[in-house]
Amino acid sequence: MRMPFSKEQILKQEQSFIYAESASHPESEDSLILIDGVSFAYSVSGEGSSNVVALKNVSLKINKGSHIAILGRNGSGKSTLAKLINALEIPDQGKVIVFGHDTSDNSTLWSIRQACGMVFQNPDNQIVGTTVEEDIAFGPENLGIPSTEIRHRVDQSLLRVGLEQYAVKAPSQLSGGQKQKLAIAGILAMQPACIILDEATSMLDPKSAKDFLKLIKELQQEFSLTIIEITHDIENAILADYIYIMQQGEIFFSGTPREVFTRPDKVLAAGLDLPQHLYINYLFQKSFSHGALEILHEKYPNDIFTPEETVDSMFELNNIANPKMIAVSTAKYNSSNQTLISVDNLSYTYQKGTKFAVDALQEVSFQVNQGEMIAIVGHSGSGKSTLISHLNGLIVPQTGQVKIMNLNTRNKKDVREIRKFLGLLFQYPEHQLFENTVYEDIAFGPKQFGFSESVIEKNVKQAIDIVGLPQDILQRSPFELSGGQQRRVAIAGVLAMDCEIFVLDEPAAGLDPIGQQEILNYIMHLRELNKTVILVTHDMKLAARADRILVLNQGFVTAYDTAANIFSNQKLLTAAGLEVPPAYKFVSLINKKFSSAITGYTAEDVNYNLLKYLSNRRQPNA
Amino acid sequence: MHDRLLLGKYYPSKSILHRLDPRTKFILLILLMVTLLIPRTVFPILLLLFGSAGLIIISKIPLKEILSSLRSILFILVFAFLINLFSGKGTLLLDLGILKIRQDGLLNAILMSIRLILLVLDTTLFLTLTTTPLQLSHGLENLLKPLSVIRFPAHEIAMMMSIALRFVPTLLEETDRIMKAQSSRGANYDTGGFFKKAKGYISIIVPLFISCFRRADELANAMEARCYHGGTGRTKLNELKYTTLDLIFSIIFITCCAITLFAHYQMPNLL
Repeated sequence: MRMPFSKEQILKQEQSFIYAESASHPESEDSLILIDGVSFAYSVSGEGSSNVVALKNVSLKINKGSHIAILGRNGSGKSTLAKLINALEIPDQGKVIVFGHDTSDNSTLWSIRQACGMVFQNPDNQIVGTTVEEDIAFGPENLGIPSTEIRHRVDQSLLRVGLEQYAVKAPSQLSGGQKQKLAIAGILAMQPACIILDEATSMLDPKSAKDFLKLIKELQQEFSLTIIEITHDIENAILADYIYIMQQGEIFFSGTPREVFTRPDKVLAAGLDLPQHLYINYLFQKSFSHGALEILHEKYPNDIFTPEETVDSMFELNNIANPKMIAVSTAKYNSSNQTLISVDNLSYTYQKGTKFAVDALQEVSFQVNQGEMIAIVGHSGSGKSTLISHLNGLIVPQTGQVKIMNLNTRNKKDVREIRKFLGLLFQYPEHQLFENTVYEDIAFGPKQFGFSESVIEKNVKQAIDIVGLPQDILQRSPFELSGGQQRRVAIAGVLAMDCEIFVLDEPAAGLDPIGQQEILNYIMHLRELNKTVILVTHDMKLAARADRILVLNQGFVTAYDTAANIFSNQKLLTAAGLEVPPAYKFVSLINKKFSSAITGYTAEDVNYNLLKYLSNRRQPNA
Repeated sequence: MHDRLLLGKYYPSKSILHRLDPRTKFILLILLMVTLLIPRTVFPILLLLFGSAGLIIISKIPLKEILSSLRSILFILVFAFLINLFSGKGTLLLDLGILKIRQDGLLNAILMSIRLILLVLDTTLFLTLTTTPLQLSHGLENLLKPLSVIRFPAHEIAMMMSIALRFVPTLLEETDRIMKAQSSRGANYDTGGFFKKAKGYISIIVPLFISCFRRADELANAMEARCYHGGTGRTKLNELKYTTLDLIFSIIFITCCAITLFAHYQMPNLL
């Protein structure tokens, strides 16, 4: 607990801070965020009371007005770094100097926090005010700014982020994207010099995330803000001025986006993604000999970074040597013609008959066959959650029918049977863990459905294997585990029910790229077992792997078709607020350069199709 | 729905009662309660009845909305009425064996019921119907501020109230989400034996608790990041201000209460 400060002290600090800022010149310490040899460990109370090292000897320098991105796996120390800059934590060793103020100096604490606003990951857990305007006022109120000035700042901030019509509404009426904008407005009202985004877009849908980042970019230019962005979103990190990649509490390497992403091996070694066009190039180069790559490097010494450079170099490389065809697992998953799920003319209205009525689903009809993988896509509020809640009878249809096999969700007795048959995993499933041990938690579902002890044991052990956790974790408490491990335990809990149909709602949300890849592996495993999978996702890369994609837009099914037909229909995508997968964007460049006509929605597909095209071109008769 | 949760039973309007400062309403309500509790004779209570009717009229809230608050005290009301009805002295009106209704008892029962009804009506009228919970917590904080001299945590209590208010919809949503998730895993809340049901509820309560702790932790961080450091040196976006309206209303109100009390003490034999 820190000493409280008097109003005068705080005001004085703020003034001295503003003064210091205006008097600063480019190379002085006042214009920098300086992290110098910082180490930090969290002390863990309880058994053994050991310390968990979060940062080891980290040094970096951030110029005022620049936009930096910090990348790294979950648990690599990124968030701790952000907290150190905001003086929420004080380094054990080393110094953090923010615009000339040392964070370990209690007397400048409020200046630092006023100057560095922070947007956190979970939109809900950073809103303090009961109304939107009260929340924006929270920061200025703490600084002891006079009411009239607060009112002025609140109105300005509301207008700037475009929430003016929500001023006296409850924050719970805002969407996730609007809540994050509210957080920004709250920071703007404190007249910051720097905004720290701690995975601020990871819980938003792509459209809201894009809006949010556009706003940030505008504000940065308008107020020459320093932006420190902690993210997993590689496609956005490219836009930063400078990138730091963290690994196990250390800065693994850093550089401009060009410098960073022209070293793909290193980026992948840090457990991160490459931008899709660079990843396609990375895969493509694997089909060439070391010698060919060396010749390419001599003939084409430029770094390969932009999509145009990438496609040029790929073209060049193909002229140097012939790529060898890669063996690709052509595992085609069998789906039968047996209809498992049949949704017929389903409509649902929340608060029906009141003035708050919201149409969530309108005349939705579709069928899913046994063994199919279906992706349900659509922006937030398009009715996805309502739809999947209908599938296992959590919501009883108002009009229309939902039939699973020949069971009807309107029939109470059938519902129990359906739930045994159809496993539903909601978003952030780690939040549903509650048992004493991992074993009991995974066994909860099977037990409820009356599986025998021996079957339960077998299923639990199989499930934990599938999600790649060691067997000895079974006897531990789920609450001791890391977030990523908890997610896997929760997934195992559904797998252990050994259902025929799995409905997964954003199973990879909030995970780092390796975590996301693992989730994809589980899904593919389920497909190998010939299970039916329904996947709700914002990630078009993931959706592209489904047999069919169901597009929801404002409660209507606007399309239900293969990835190829959906992603080639730009009008449909725009209307539903969706984007094509990033790999697909690159395909048109490839086709232009190679005069080919390939398609592909994942990097692997694009690479494979390109290689196939090139090999066919060489031997047209083969 | 969320508006409902945030505002409780608040009935939006711009009447005089709505525009009063919450502190004025608090203080006047206490005065009114005292005035309601003292008199036991017909005349002062009639005065209070008329006074309350006046309040209802100026509040511009439909009578139906106001009377609905009585539903919650219906049982107490009936109970109090009967107890009073069958006790007391005076002329015997009705003989039901052991239970005897006498004149005094009947009068007392009626007066008691009126007082109870007025107590509830006026409280809802002053606090819940015309004041938002947020105004209430601001008002309370402000009134209790002097007590911080004796280390009474007035600001902290008000802050807790407003955060609790802010999180009600969030936690309701969360409960719904967890319930759905556990139901999908076969948890039972309405069928099965006691043990099964209890287990079902545990599967909601434990995750909800853990989520509350996580939220509290993150919110604390977010608040500190926005320079929160307790109530010292804090200003308010919407500072409470006494207006002329508060002054005039208070004078009229206090006068009315004084007349009622005067009637009770000085003219005990009137009616």
